[in-house]
Amino acid sequence: MSHAFAVDRAFATVAFKRRLAYKTQWMVALVLGGGAMLVSMAMWRYLLADGALSGYDWDSMRAYIIIGFITATVVFGAADWNIADRILDGHIAVDLTKPVDFQRARAAEYIGSMASTVPTVVVGVIGAWLLFDPPGPASPTAGVLTAASFVLVFPLAFGITYMTVLVCFWTKRYLGVMWLREALLSFFSGMMIPLAFMPSWLQAIAWALPFPHFTTTPAAIYLGHVDTAGALGLLAAEAAWAVGLWLGARLVFRRAVRKVTVHGG
Amino acid sequence: MADTIARDRSLTARHVGGVYGRALVAQIRAITEYPADFWVMASAGVMWNLLQFAFLTVLFATVPDVAGWSYHEMLLLSGLLSVAAGSTALLCDGVWSTGQMVLKGEIDYRMTRPAPVVVQVATTHIGMQGFGEVAFGLVMAVYGWIGAGLGLAAAPVGVLALVCAVVIECALVTAFCAVNFWIKGPMSNFAFMLIDLQNSAMTMPLGLFPSGVRIVTMFVVPVAFVNFVPVAVLTGHLSGWWLVGTPLAALAALLAAVGVFRLGLRSYDSAGH
Repeated sequence: MSHAFAVDRAFATVAFKRRLAYKTQWMVALVLGGGAMLVSMAMWRYLLADGALSGYDWDSMRAYIIIGFITATVVFGAADWNIADRILDGHIAVDLTKPVDFQRARAAEYIGSMASTVPTVVVGVIGAWLLFDPPGPASPTAGVLTAASFVLVFPLAFGITYMTVLVCFWTKRYLGVMWLREALLSFFSGMMIPLAFMPSWLQAIAWALPFPHFTTTPAAIYLGHVDTAGALGLLAAEAAWAVGLWLGARLVFRRAVRKVTVHGG
Repeated sequence: MADTIARDRSLTARHVGGVYGRALVAQIRAITEYPADFWVMASAGVMWNLLQFAFLTVLFATVPDVAGWSYHEMLLLSGLLSVAAGSTALLCDGVWSTGQMVLKGEIDYRMTRPAPVVVQVATTHIGMQGFGEVAFGLVMAVYGWIGAGLGLAAAPVGVLALVCAVVIECALVTAFCAVNFWIKGPMSNFAFMLIDLQNSAMTMPLGLFPSGVRIVTMFVVPVAFVNFVPVAVLTGHLSGWWLVGTPLAALAALLAAVGVFRLGLRSYDSAGH
């Protein structure tokens, strides 16, 4: 068991260091995430100048947008391309001969790469805090539970990403798959607009998907839109999605791996 | 003599046009070999626009306007930007590979061929998402056009705006990708930042932002002339005189792209094998 964890740690560390080596990406991620955050702030400051809309006032919206920035930076900055490339260029044939579980090894690498976005998150959040002075969490318990929901974003993001990357067994490119996933995640997570603004039928669709746990769940807990029992329920749903996607991906992989194509020789 | 020069120039233009057309047709043939990839990419292009449409629809169910702009006016804003961005994917997507080609020395043999390097680089790829972006962008733009009460009388202005938007967008992406001639790297980070920030900020009325943003987007990197200025003129938010700036911005962007790419080629020193 300890050997398996040592392998996980080694994969995560290598992925973390590899990502940290590309320091330009820190700047790019900060400009992109920071730019989107500033645009959102400008729009909502105008719209909420006269009072609250759909349960959000300017104070709570500032915190909401910063939470969206944190999860977007961590999720969109991870190294999903590395997994896709291994399938597309046939390296997976070599991986399958190794005495490590393919999914678990990719999970360790993916989470290592997510951790490498933390410096960007820290700089962005400090800047946003200084510029916009958002309110703190609704209570100390809400703060702790928000942190827990951020931690659960890591396995959840891997589950969704890995499941979609497996489509590469049937396609020759990954870009379109990634864009489709990112589009759905941006909208149904509430990053583009809080779910509370959506009609009830669209909210129902969103809550039937794993995406709201990327922004709506941590924001609802942080802002006190749910009580402690409600927050624990949301965290349980988030964890259930992470476990369900992990097991579901195993089933898909078993079928997908029969399609592996290795070019050249 | 003047006739000879004129004939040579027209032959050159025809030759370049022929090379460009044949290269794009070859790329389209390649696309048809991978139908799954085509449909995934085209769907991704549609999906982003569909969700932008949904975002505006959801937002305007709660608010009457954003900085004085109505729902249909903002649809027109998003639709025009989407058509312009999708067109770059269809017409010059290969420029995104400029950085890779510079790193690997792949510009070398393109310099020896009898066609402009920028044309050869631009046609090495087609972004299949462009089909979805252009198609749904046109749907959004037409829906916004009709909803904003614009009639057929304004159609010539709309066509001018569309043509200029495509030229400006293609030129800016080419120029920003050419930065990789000097700042070496496989990723076209500057062009990527331009497109991403444009998608965030230019789907909103410029009145929301500080004056510095307005000055930069109009007079430094003229992305405002892709969609904001023409739509603002059409819908009466800006005076008609601003429309003169749109073809001027297109010309300036085109000259800048050609100039930056030429300077880049001069500084290109291959991969050093």
